[in-house]
Amino acid sequence: MRASIASVRGVLNKRCAAVVSSVGFTALFTGCASNAPQDTWQPKGPNAELIDDLQQPVFAVAGVIGLIVASAVIYTMIKYRDRGQPIPEQIHGKPALEVTLTIIPALILAVVAVFTFGAIFKLAKTDDTEMIINVTGQQWWWEYDYPVQNEFGINQPIITSGQLVMPIGTKVLLRETSRDVIHSYWIPALNGKRDAVPGRVHTLRLEADEPGIYAGQCTEFCGLSHANMRMEAVALSKEDFAKWVANQQAPYVAPAVGTLAKQGEEVFLNQCVRCHQVNGLTRADGTPAIAAPDENVWSGAAPNLSHLMTRNTFAGAMFDLLSKRCRDEVWNAPSDMVGARYLEGVTEECLNQKDLRAWLRNAPEVKPMYANPANLLVSNGKYRGMPYLALSEDDIGKLVAYLITLK
Amino acid sequence: MAIIERPTPAAPVVVTPTETYGLLKRPVSSTGWRSWVFTIDHKKLGIMYAVTAMFFFIVGGIEALLIRLQLAAPNGKVLNADLYNQMFTMHATTMVFLFIMPMAAGFANYFLPLQIGARDVAFPRLNAFGFWSLLFGGIFLNLAWFLGGAADGGWFMYAPNSGPVFSPSNGVNFWALGLQIAGIASLTSAINLIITVLNMRAPGMSLMKMPIFTWMITVVQFLLLFAVPVITVALFLLMFQRNFGARFFDVAAGADPLLWQHLFWIFGHPEVYILILPSFGIISEVLPVFSRKPLFGYPFVVFSGAAIGFVGWGVWAHHMFASGLGPVSVAVFSVATMAIAVPTGVKIINWTLTMWGGKLWFTTAMKFAIGLIVLFTVGGLSGVTHSIAPSDTQQTDTYYIVAHFHYVLFGGSVLGIFAGFYYWWPKVFGKMLSEKLGSWNFWLMIIGLNLTFGPMHILGLQGQPRRMYQWTEARAGEGFFNLAFWNSVASIGSFILAIGILIFLINVWVTSRNPQRAPLDPWDARSLEWMTSNPPKEHNFDVIPTVHHLDEFFHRKYEEDEATHTMKQITTAEDLIAEQERNADRHIHMPSPSYWPIVLAFGLPVIAFGLIYSYLIAVVGGVIVLFAAFGWALESSTAPESDFENPNSSAELVKHD
Amino acid sequence: MTDVAHGHVGGTGISNVKLGMWAFLGSECLLFGGLISTYMLYRGRVTGGPRPSQIFDIPFTSVSSFVLLMSSLTMVLAVSAAHKDDDRKTNLWLTVTALLGTTFVGGQVYEFTAFYKEGLGFSTSLFGSSFYTLTGFHGVHVTVGIIMLMSLVGILTRSSMPGKKAEVVEIVGLYWHFVDIVWIIIFTLVYLIPV
Repeated sequence: MRASIASVRGVLNKRCAAVVSSVGFTALFTGCASNAPQDTWQPKGPNAELIDDLQQPVFAVAGVIGLIVASAVIYTMIKYRDRGQPIPEQIHGKPALEVTLTIIPALILAVVAVFTFGAIFKLAKTDDTEMIINVTGQQWWWEYDYPVQNEFGINQPIITSGQLVMPIGTKVLLRETSRDVIHSYWIPALNGKRDAVPGRVHTLRLEADEPGIYAGQCTEFCGLSHANMRMEAVALSKEDFAKWVANQQAPYVAPAVGTLAKQGEEVFLNQCVRCHQVNGLTRADGTPAIAAPDENVWSGAAPNLSHLMTRNTFAGAMFDLLSKRCRDEVWNAPSDMVGARYLEGVTEECLNQKDLRAWLRNAPEVKPMYANPANLLVSNGKYRGMPYLALSEDDIGKLVAYLITLK
Repeated sequence: MAIIERPTPAAPVVVTPTETYGLLKRPVSSTGWRSWVFTIDHKKLGIMYAVTAMFFFIVGGIEALLIRLQLAAPNGKVLNADLYNQMFTMHATTMVFLFIMPMAAGFANYFLPLQIGARDVAFPRLNAFGFWSLLFGGIFLNLAWFLGGAADGGWFMYAPNSGPVFSPSNGVNFWALGLQIAGIASLTSAINLIITVLNMRAPGMSLMKMPIFTWMITVVQFLLLFAVPVITVALFLLMFQRNFGARFFDVAAGADPLLWQHLFWIFGHPEVYILILPSFGIISEVLPVFSRKPLFGYPFVVFSGAAIGFVGWGVWAHHMFASGLGPVSVAVFSVATMAIAVPTGVKIINWTLTMWGGKLWFTTAMKFAIGLIVLFTVGGLSGVTHSIAPSDTQQTDTYYIVAHFHYVLFGGSVLGIFAGFYYWWPKVFGKMLSEKLGSWNFWLMIIGLNLTFGPMHILGLQGQPRRMYQWTEARAGEGFFNLAFWNSVASIGSFILAIGILIFLINVWVTSRNPQRAPLDPWDARSLEWMTSNPPKEHNFDVIPTVHHLDEFFHRKYEEDEATHTMKQITTAEDLIAEQERNADRHIHMPSPSYWPIVLAFGLPVIAFGLIYSYLIAVVGGVIVLFAAFGWALESSTAPESDFENPNSSAELVKHD
Repeated sequence: MTDVAHGHVGGTGISNVKLGMWAFLGSECLLFGGLISTYMLYRGRVTGGPRPSQIFDIPFTSVSSFVLLMSSLTMVLAVSAAHKDDDRKTNLWLTVTALLGTTFVGGQVYEFTAFYKEGLGFSTSLFGSSFYTLTGFHGVHVTVGIIMLMSLVGILTRSSMPGKKAEVVEIVGLYWHFVDIVWIIIFTLVYLIPV
């Protein structure tokens, strides 16, 4: 029996390889993926930095302890392998040693606990808030609603989606909730995540040091398109943010009569306005066109499309409104240029026509949603997500021409 | 059969049922399929649990491979979003409820009575009922695949996403009812094993002389006893909401979705220890045997196991650090979670010190045990980083968590289970698993699991969330070692892991074809289960041993050399067992087989099926349950004396009472 | 010593079946704990339906609670008769216990009907769902208890019960007392403490 076992030396070599690979994976290679947009170890604001400062020493200590355990095991295996020694004395333990070895980890953890306590309460503070943004999750997009805050030039509420725009160096407090299931808001570079729970309002502090676009992703499983429920936080300098606010509050400009865009506005009024609001849009008879998503969508909300082309994404940030080239230009712009590039919005030549048209052609095909009209019994006929609208290519062309005017 | 005379009569004992209850005569077969289906022998049931668990391990494994295939490259097209959601829900549900728990139940059933010197468990028929409930519950759960789609809300099934609007298929109904049935199995087996341990230990076996595996299993049964009713409540609330229009998780009526999370995790965190402690027990048996030393600090290991059992109740909300509990709760649960790391650390230290100073024998079982020490430590340490609540808000619901609990569950529970396979195989089947194939099995599994789950640490820390049916290159980062690279490594690793497990199955097949019998005591083992034949007789022990030591069997074989304090052998296992046979108890009453456990258990999925499709079917199921319950109650656990009359036997019939 | 089938007195000195019942009741504590917690969380959430104070008929429920409480007394008498091996008296007291239990369940059925007529359905509000679930679960437990009592009576009459009679009566008694105690807690928390 014993002879059939691989030689001890062979065992040990392979064991070393396994240990190195397991511990090494965490220790050695973590830094290897450069520039992952959702890297939790690259904080870009004070809240995330607080977390990072707390966790880095813990990771280091944990790594060292892991190496000590692995080395101790390997050393024991080499030293006490069966070399024909007699069966040893049947020692049942050394209480003093064990108590010591119990107290040491307890002390280490006690120290960690003290710092953890401090961080928990710092991250829960709300009394130093400078700006409030309401964030509402629903399947599968986020709505951002800026209540009136005159000090930032927000004189009327701004409702947008896809990208959270915020000023740098400002203590922003998100007030999160949900209209259907639980979602979770997470911009790793700015803070940890916080669940958006229907019926509850949770707060999350966000603050960015530098202008830039910080990626995030819904992290509470929320159904079919959970994977496609993304977010981007756009941090702008205070001046740029003021410009953005001013633009969001600019009145609606109807397309000129006789243009393709004007025909697109008509299609929009016939189809899209059932769910999607465009502030200031009026019907032919001059009455304001008010969307009624609550009659058609289970969550009761659909993205407000006013000033759509100031955003870089659509469909819950799943798709880019910018073509790949233009998107890279914004994302890779140096920090002092991000604001300027971002405020340019989506120009005619930068529009990502392909994805936008595919979306208008058949939304549920490009983003999984429970939009099959045959299965709507349980939801009183209401959709979850955008349904297939059977638009003609002609209408799609008109709509795109119209949407590009929503600057 | 049910009564054992010594010496064994040449012909089987003639058994004629004299009493019938209701429609069914008492089953009497000792061979063929009936001897399995109607058995109440804890050893047969143990094997049946393990086979069932292994089957579901393969099912869950295939689900895992499909998941990794889907995620091997960006925008995977192997599964659609809906199917992917069902896949990860059922992968977790299967692995937790239908693989690890029943496998642990299998080991517990088989070895716990043997380790404490008992001839069966306290309630043999309840034991059989537990097994059949588990099997029927597991089948019922998986039926949903063929009836409109499996559950798709994740194994944690958070409300309100589990509600009828958000999950309109019957999948969640099958899930809730199937788990309810499997829960009955856990509850009955918990009661059964607790009473067995409390009441049926061999003379002289005080609690602190119990083998450590039995101790850990006992802690697990107490956890089950108190955790199962909590998930039962949660599942009832969910079922009432989905089937009867209750409002429990209806936010429009003012419901708080966090209620589900609390109920689920009050169950769910003890559940984590339910999954890991049996394997801790297994390797605490394996390490001493192959180190030729007792477990170092036995009382510390026992008390740390019990401490984990207690503190395990106070840490559930660490699954909810991002749920918005408020800073005070978060701080409390954060500290409690750190506290639970201490007793866990104690175990790792004790295992290492058990090997220290020993005479190490690197069998496959020992390799798996050592693998557990190292890989569980990785999982334990990443667990400590979660206890830092602010840090956890970055990690939770990312692949870092997936990495963590797979190191704990695969690196811990599963490696422990495989150590148990190799260690106890000769005991159960009387044959040795091939050590050569075992070595392949071990190394492929170790390499595979590190390649699969190691990269997930990186994926998670670099921001890849869990439960995404696709990932996009836009968020994968740049450079060669970007998230795309690590995702493919994980997928390749998962197939290496699968090959490792396949080699185990090949090993089982090869071993079963090998006529060579295992020696009686191949590992020079230490505890009572080895003081029986291979496999053990139906009544386990010819004589119930009187226990004087922890590691009783070892101390019967060896004595200490006064001068050197080393151990020298004084007798062999063969001699000890021959001596037992010479002094065998006469006329041992063993409980008799019964139809009722399987009939009663069969009624449960019928009721559940009826609740989903038609109350008429549920009524039929109810009648089956009631009928079986009465049959059971009226049937005595041992067939009457007259059934066993053996005309050729003049054995004196002294009833020991 | 060698007979594993019958509940042998072992390490604890308590028979397997009795200890098993204790373990089961321990588990039941958490079942009711979970249901009671759910009710306590939701009892004030009535969404337009009736409030607890509007529909509860405290005097009526007090009487039916008293009836259930009395059944514990008769159960004690049954157990004591069983220990004295007095089958006739055992049967008598078991039957009385079952009748008292049935009266209680009958009262609960009446109460549910009355509440339903007053506008509290199972789906009306969180209060409704959690009230009916909690008290319904308790009612089912009482009903199972009644079935066990009546079966005991039937078996004792036929005198073909396996195992020790007195102990079986005692074990059913344990269950019955537990269900009564749970009701005292439910009655206090649900009916007596105002929202």
